[in-house]
Amino acid sequence: MKEELFVSGRDIPNIDPYLNIWHWQIPLYLFLGGLAAGILFFAGFYTVRGKADKMQATVKWAPLLAPIALVLGLGALFWDLKHKLFFWQLYTTVRLDSPMSWGAWTLMIITPISLIWVASYMKEMFPWWDWKFDFLNKAEAWVIKNRVGIAWVMMVYAVILGVYTGILLSAFNARPLWNTSILGPLFLVSGFSTGLAATILLSKDPKERKRLSQIDLIFIVIELFLIVHLFMGFLAGSQTAIEAAHLFLGGPFTVTFWVFVVMLGLVFPAVLETLELLGFHVPKWLPAVLILFGGLMFRFIMVEAGQITRYLY
Amino acid sequence: MNKHHSKNSEPKYINPYLGGVLLGLLVLVTVLITGRGLGASGAIKSTVVTTAHVFTPEQAKSNAYMNKFISDDHSPMYTWLVFETLGIFLGGLLSGIVFGRVKKLRTEHSPKITSKTRLIFALIGGMLFGIGSQFGRGCTSGAALSGTATFALGGAVVMFAIFGTGYAAAYFFRKLWI
Repeated sequence: MKEELFVSGRDIPNIDPYLNIWHWQIPLYLFLGGLAAGILFFAGFYTVRGKADKMQATVKWAPLLAPIALVLGLGALFWDLKHKLFFWQLYTTVRLDSPMSWGAWTLMIITPISLIWVASYMKEMFPWWDWKFDFLNKAEAWVIKNRVGIAWVMMVYAVILGVYTGILLSAFNARPLWNTSILGPLFLVSGFSTGLAATILLSKDPKERKRLSQIDLIFIVIELFLIVHLFMGFLAGSQTAIEAAHLFLGGPFTVTFWVFVVMLGLVFPAVLETLELLGFHVPKWLPAVLILFGGLMFRFIMVEAGQITRYLY
Repeated sequence: MNKHHSKNSEPKYINPYLGGVLLGLLVLVTVLITGRGLGASGAIKSTVVTTAHVFTPEQAKSNAYMNKFISDDHSPMYTWLVFETLGIFLGGLLSGIVFGRVKKLRTEHSPKITSKTRLIFALIGGMLFGIGSQFGRGCTSGAALSGTATFALGGAVVMFAIFGTGYAAAYFFRKLWI
């Protein structure tokens, strides 16, 4: 009989020796949250810079996706809950030291903002649109007048949303793969990159697409840098961190991570975007779709692999 | 390598002799990096086995040949050949972009035949190639290219068989091309 298992108190089904609690809903939500954060940030960014007219898809059309992504993501989160009827308790709690609390309140704020943003452009996007009620028209006029101010708030919350999708994981101290300060910025950059990719897909203006591709290239380079940094940090860390890194460096996640995330999701689209900027003809949807695919795979692999990494035994 | 080719209707291909040398060097690099030669038919086999296993798991398992590749904890798709084939596709795409062949989808064929005829014969040819590669334990790249690179007699036999048969059969199918 192995007494030490009972004494240590770590013989908990689905938690030790490894987590088996988060399935497809969580990475899907993290992906959609990052995507919405990216789209909303750049919509706000170009509004603040006064270039809304030149960046039609970025400011007007792509934000249509944001509330849809947020609602679908929240739906996935809700699906994941064990006790679904208690979800409202997240909103009776404010805990500054809990990323879940931060996330719940951030979503509580940015989801309506994204809806208001889209609503304020409805008449421009769909000329037949009619609000029917006078107070709605008045509210719309007020939003349009204060668009720059709202854009600032939206940008700030988009950054918090993007970082939070990573911090949510890095707050798990007992999971070495997640417990690194790089995860927040990494998820932020990755989310922004997927947001840009989605906007590129929607944009019909070659000039706008070119500008977005340039920004996306910068984000891809930063993301690659952060990934390298992540592994350097692990390899210079404790034995548990080294073991976490070895899941990706010769372990079971090596092929999926390096092929699908790094090569297909980052390096290859970066090469394609560079060729496109150099004047070669590249199918315009291809790099964007690859980036979206890579972003999704990244979250699935990080959530899956992180649950396996551990301290004990 | 010219970006203006993207507007040209005439696609540009690599010089076959240069291509052959590069292919030989590729085998060297592949052996150096992976410790194995090149191959492509294995990826098709993996795909066929996986598809069969998804739709008719019982039949796939009762088939002596397919059963070798099926295991509970390991998908047949999780082999280096599948990833290599993915790379072939992407490398071809990259070359197409650089040499201006990606502008639009086209079926290349002799002026004497229609695109439809070309596609039908390509499909038949591909199927024969797939069957033949299983008899020969590898395709042109697996058995012939990687085989001869290691001075394997079987590789040389396959190489001569492929090109000899091709030379002999070409007479009957020449009208598909010229």
